[in-house]
Amino acid sequence: MSKSGSADLVYILGDALRSLRENVGTTILTSFTLAFSLAIFSLFVFVIMNLNGVVEGWGEKTQIIVYVKDASVGQADSLKQALGRLPGVKSAEYISKEKALAELKDELKGHEGILDGVDANPLPASFEVRVRDEFNQPERIAELAGRIKALEWAEDVQYSREWVEKLSAFIKFIQLAAIAMGVFLGAATLFIISNTIRLAVYARKDEIEIMKLVGASDMYVKVPFVLEGLIQGLFGGLLAMCILAVGRYAVLSEIPAYLRFAVEMPFSTVLFLAFLTGAGMLMGVAGSLISMNRFLKV
Amino acid sequence: MIQMFHVSKSYEGGVPALVDVTLKIPKGDFLFITGPSGAGKSTLLKIMFGSEAPTEGQIILDGRNYVRIPSAELPELRRRIGFVFQDFKLLPNKTVFENVALSLKVMGVAPSDVKRRVARMLSYVKLQHRANFKPLQLSGGEQQRVAIARALVKDPAIILADEPTGNLDPALSIQIIELFREVSSRGTTVVVATHDKMLIEKYARRTVALEGGRLIG
Repeated sequence: MSKSGSADLVYILGDALRSLRENVGTTILTSFTLAFSLAIFSLFVFVIMNLNGVVEGWGEKTQIIVYVKDASVGQADSLKQALGRLPGVKSAEYISKEKALAELKDELKGHEGILDGVDANPLPASFEVRVRDEFNQPERIAELAGRIKALEWAEDVQYSREWVEKLSAFIKFIQLAAIAMGVFLGAATLFIISNTIRLAVYARKDEIEIMKLVGASDMYVKVPFVLEGLIQGLFGGLLAMCILAVGRYAVLSEIPAYLRFAVEMPFSTVLFLAFLTGAGMLMGVAGSLISMNRFLKV
Repeated sequence: MIQMFHVSKSYEGGVPALVDVTLKIPKGDFLFITGPSGAGKSTLLKIMFGSEAPTEGQIILDGRNYVRIPSAELPELRRRIGFVFQDFKLLPNKTVFENVALSLKVMGVAPSDVKRRVARMLSYVKLQHRANFKPLQLSGGEQQRVAIARALVKDPAIILADEPTGNLDPALSIQIIELFREVSSRGTTVVVATHDKMLIEKYARRTVALEGGRLIG
């Protein structure tokens, strides 16, 4: 009996391509299901990541303002160093009396007359202290503020305790909600995709059975499904990207400017496209192989 | 040579399909398995084919124990057996030619050989004019012959046929059995499960009868 390994490969690839043509409808349907599922999940990830970024930005602005006693103004540099040595201090910016006045004048632009009667500079010098991320919690900030206040040159310390506490609780809530929704949406996405693929494979269970019964190896039967899974995943990923781009374009003008950040792409486009198509192909192939496995046992 | 030793098969919650069957089928034999519907004929063939595992007992095929064969070696064994299924098991979206060619393609036979051998087999079962038809465009008898052509085209060492004449008129039934006889005379072992009394009386050289899963003669 004439046998050749190359004929094997020719048949396997030929059959795989033919099967793609024959199942073009199912392939398109599965690609679209993949695309919409991936797009919905990605949109969620975008919004959450962007929100998280903004909220963390707010956190970075949290500062402690230390007013310096007039008597100590001359030692600004050494005071700054002393502040820098305190645990939890990320940086400290010195605002001299003159700078404080200039800033005030700047803010009062158009109403400079208010300061007309003021001869001497009544504003105190101050330090704007930024706090290290790990200290950005209500208790630790309060503790740090207390230490600063205890320094003899410190006139007063100002920070918004309420704001820090609310912000911290809000960030925690957002992160928890994001994780819960992410898990839920991720599970739903996987469920929809795996069921779509399972149904597509189920429709061809007779074909798998017959091929096995006439002596086809598992590889012979699997290759067309793997190829289809790859193509579905590739198209699904590309389509998801298109859906996101078109969707963003369509809604952008309807979104108030201050909320537009939520639909910005938080990653590089190429990286994200690679991720979408990669995830699509992985799910397509793994879904097909897992679904067909039980039909191979004939 | 097929040997079965004390083979039993029972399905979960059901009555036993086969009970303690011991059977030797020498190479080149032409054996009829008879018995009423539900006697266990199909189960016996499926066990010989390796598509169902016996609950107990051993099957030795050409000196190899079939029951303990790794699943990776099953395709190789199936390529040596031509099975004619009662429900044909043809691929509805492939043509007659492609259905018959499939059993050669999975073996890696070169395309030119596939073409030649399928064409020859189709004229052998008188279906050359139906080569480009899909199975559902054919009559039951024609589909039966496609299934037979697919089993024979690979020159198997063993032919197992489950009611191969069930859909054929008497004249065509005789033609098909003649075909099996010819194959058998060239050294192929042929096992036919049937309840067609006319065929058994006319052709049986050797018959075993099953009833309630037991061999009764």
